[in-house]
Amino acid sequence: MKILVCVSKTPDTTAKISFNADNTEFQSAGVQYIMNPYDEWYALVRALELKETLGGTVTLINVGTADDEQVIRKGLAIGGDDAVRIDAAPKSALFVAKQISAHAKSAGYDLIMLGKETIDYNGSEVGAMVAEYMDMPYVSYATKLDIAGSTATLMRDIEGGEEEIEVDLPFVLSAAKGMAEQRIPNMRGIMMAKSKPIQVIPAVPFEDLSVVTSYELPKAKSGVKLVQPENMDELVRLLHEEAKVI
Amino acid sequence: MYSFISSRNIRFILHEVLNAGDLNRFPFFRDYDKDAMDMAIEAAIQITSSNIYPFNKAFDQFKVTHVNGVTHVHPQLKHLIKSIAEGGWICSGASFENGGGQMPEVLSSAGRLIFYAGSCNSAYPFLTSGSANLILNFGSDELKSAFVPRMIAGEWQGTMALTEPQAGSSLSDLSTSATRTEKQGTFHISGQKIYISGGDHNCADNIIHLTLARIKGAPSGTKGISLFVVPKYKLDGSFNDVKTAGIYGKMGQKNYTAAHLMFGESGICEGYLVGEENQGLTYMFQMMNEARIGTGLLAAGNISAAYYASLKYAFERPQGRHPSNKDITTPQVLIIEHADVKRMLLLQKSILEGSIALLLQASYWADIAAHGEGFEKENAHLLLELLTPVCKCYPSEMGIISVKNAMQVLGGAGYCNDFPIEQYFREIPINSIYEGTTTIHGIDLLGRKILMKQGAALSALYVEIGKDLDAALKIEGISLYSKKLTVAVQKLQQITKHLTDLAINERPEVYLADATIYLEGFSQIVIGWIWLKQAIIAQEKITLVDAVSEQQFYSGKIQTMKYYFEYELPKYVPAFERLLSNSKITLETNPLDLL
Ligand SMILES: Cc1cc2nc3c(=O)[nH]c(=O)nc-3n(C[C@H](O)[C@H](O)[C@H](O)COP(=O)(O)OP(=O)(O)OC[C@H]3O[C@@H](n4cnc5c(N)ncnc54)[C@H](O)[C@@H]3O)c2cc1C
Repeated sequence: MKILVCVSKTPDTTAKISFNADNTEFQSAGVQYIMNPYDEWYALVRALELKETLGGTVTLINVGTADDEQVIRKGLAIGGDDAVRIDAAPKSALFVAKQISAHAKSAGYDLIMLGKETIDYNGSEVGAMVAEYMDMPYVSYATKLDIAGSTATLMRDIEGGEEEIEVDLPFVLSAAKGMAEQRIPNMRGIMMAKSKPIQVIPAVPFEDLSVVTSYELPKAKSGVKLVQPENMDELVRLLHEEAKVI
Repeated sequence: MYSFISSRNIRFILHEVLNAGDLNRFPFFRDYDKDAMDMAIEAAIQITSSNIYPFNKAFDQFKVTHVNGVTHVHPQLKHLIKSIAEGGWICSGASFENGGGQMPEVLSSAGRLIFYAGSCNSAYPFLTSGSANLILNFGSDELKSAFVPRMIAGEWQGTMALTEPQAGSSLSDLSTSATRTEKQGTFHISGQKIYISGGDHNCADNIIHLTLARIKGAPSGTKGISLFVVPKYKLDGSFNDVKTAGIYGKMGQKNYTAAHLMFGESGICEGYLVGEENQGLTYMFQMMNEARIGTGLLAAGNISAAYYASLKYAFERPQGRHPSNKDITTPQVLIIEHADVKRMLLLQKSILEGSIALLLQASYWADIAAHGEGFEKENAHLLLELLTPVCKCYPSEMGIISVKNAMQVLGGAGYCNDFPIEQYFREIPINSIYEGTTTIHGIDLLGRKILMKQGAALSALYVEIGKDLDAALKIEGISLYSKKLTVAVQKLQQITKHLTDLAINERPEVYLADATIYLEGFSQIVIGWIWLKQAIIAQEKITLVDAVSEQQFYSGKIQTMKYYFEYELPKYVPAFERLLSNSKITLETNPLDLL
């Protein structure tokens, strides 16, 4: 069983987000990065569990610059066997998907896993795009994955319930909460990660179809308004005129 | 920022102040570069955030009971121990062959600090670590293989059983006895031990007591004390006659048991000799630096959790207006805007980050002392020995003041248990008592460490401080503080000379009467040096970084250093004034004067 897990870095949830002067670029100076939790806690850990029961290898893939190696090392410390880093700044979801699929096409993976989204751009796009480039089936938002022979059984949360899906290997899946339990690297893993190979390869040429023209931070939330219990009319007026919920 | 610790501050001290990644120049630490250290710190924070910190209040509120021979503690303790053990943190510094991770002490201390900030219950696995290290360092191969693997796995709890009803500070009076059996190295142990931390609980399958006892016929005093491994259950699973007479009720650290233990009431308690006979106290003392730095870390963890809780509150609580604003219709300001609230927060930050920097510095010296060579090794050893009492006592004593100020910041909320401060306030004081009271460490500093090797340790400290005074003098913005510290160090030299003259001319009672006050003044100056060291780096870096958050971090360091020098450092002045006085008030006080 040969599994490829896509991992990306995202700002730590406590990081202060800001953009450059014309709002076209995210300011990364001083930002502390972590591995995207959906990649780490769900996709990677389930891949490792499958490797532990079925045998095989788990390769990590990342599209990023040398700074991303810290995140890749963490994945190796948790249990990945080796890694591929495509040496380019991840410009867009389509760019990332193109790079991942360019590598994966000739490598013969049985399964390609990634988190359902990154917690920064929340795009949920890369998985479907990789599947399309690879011409493979795609299951998104999977919460459970079991494999018997060459067939996988998956569960997905849907509105008001769950659906069960069967699909033949190879395929692409995006993992959601429930797929596995977070694993924290231990010291042995951290030490071993240092000697695991990270192959660095150049990006393939690619012309993006869209550009980000600007970013904007969410508007600051207005403070809480306290309304005295005897002042019901005022409450109704505020809900109607300001909150516009009634 | 996490709600109990600043990982940025830990990385600052590890990498920017100590350059700890360079420890991998020693073959023993070859795997520990900066990245590996950062990953270990992140792992410690993850373990704490998921398995420790969220349970801290529940640990405090759990009622520990001892029923039908079983001591029931909060069940989450099992997960806490397991996650720290699985993370590779128990005996992390031991060699690979012994099941350890060859981790530098400085990293291990940073990890402990994080776990302790999550909860004082994290002390359980590190108590095991200390006990297992004793077996690893001094025990036979047989003892090592029989006990250590399951201790490192977190399945068996280790303890340090020294204190007896008549032998607390004065261990030379201990009377637990060991009688030879026909089996070489096996003794029958008889006696009682009190206040034994982790001494009994149901989240471990066995409790392994590293017990001090006197072999029948051994000399009296400290020379006749031996060290034994005394398990609650023998290796065949049968009960080893170590009974828990009771669990002490305490003001804090509620789920961290302190047990009263009876050894050999039925005459069948086996103890296995560690190393050589009559060397017990020597072995214990070789591990004492680790244990005492550990107590300092526990106190610093506590200060940290209280500081970040009070800081958060200060940024959220609106109350009052600025003194110049008399207009009641304007909104209230957040209390963080009041000068005195900022003072209370700066006080905490200066004690906290001063303590952490000192503790990690000492741990770094421990690494050099263990793996360096020649002058570097000897120098680190001297500095570590000299400053261990400060590492133990400064965070423990000043921590009480720090957490008290955290409580003030919260006002009434600080006293009530919707917020965690009252818990921290009940937990901090014990650190100044166990592992030796502050008095005992004052006596250790003045009576032993200052005099050791004709004052070589103190000279080594002056050289270290001198380097930073010179560096700071050349840096605009902090040269003033270099001058202030120079004056303080000169005063320290003067006082120490005055006291050592007393040692020659007077009875030891006179020399040592105010040892605690000497320790206090000495500590204020050492922490002043530690702050200057941090400020030198912050001042250099602040102009080099672009990110606002980084500039803010360094600016916070410089501002806190200034606070320390303006508000805290001058406290050495009255302490030294007292030490210069020839009046012998305490010695001359008749106990009846106190009635
Ligand atoms: C919660 C808790 C956990 C503990 N855990 C452990 C443990 O795991 N293992 C263990 O072995 N012990 C443990 N202890 C015991 C602890 O180490 C002792 O309580 C401590 O060393 C002080 O001893 P004591 O209580 O007998 O006080 P005493 O020695 O009676 O001291 C009373 C006072 O007299 C002072 N004093 C004593 N001798 C002198 C002197 N020569 N000169 C000047 N002043 C002096 C002391 O400083 C103190 O102020 C624990 C204690 C507590 C409360």
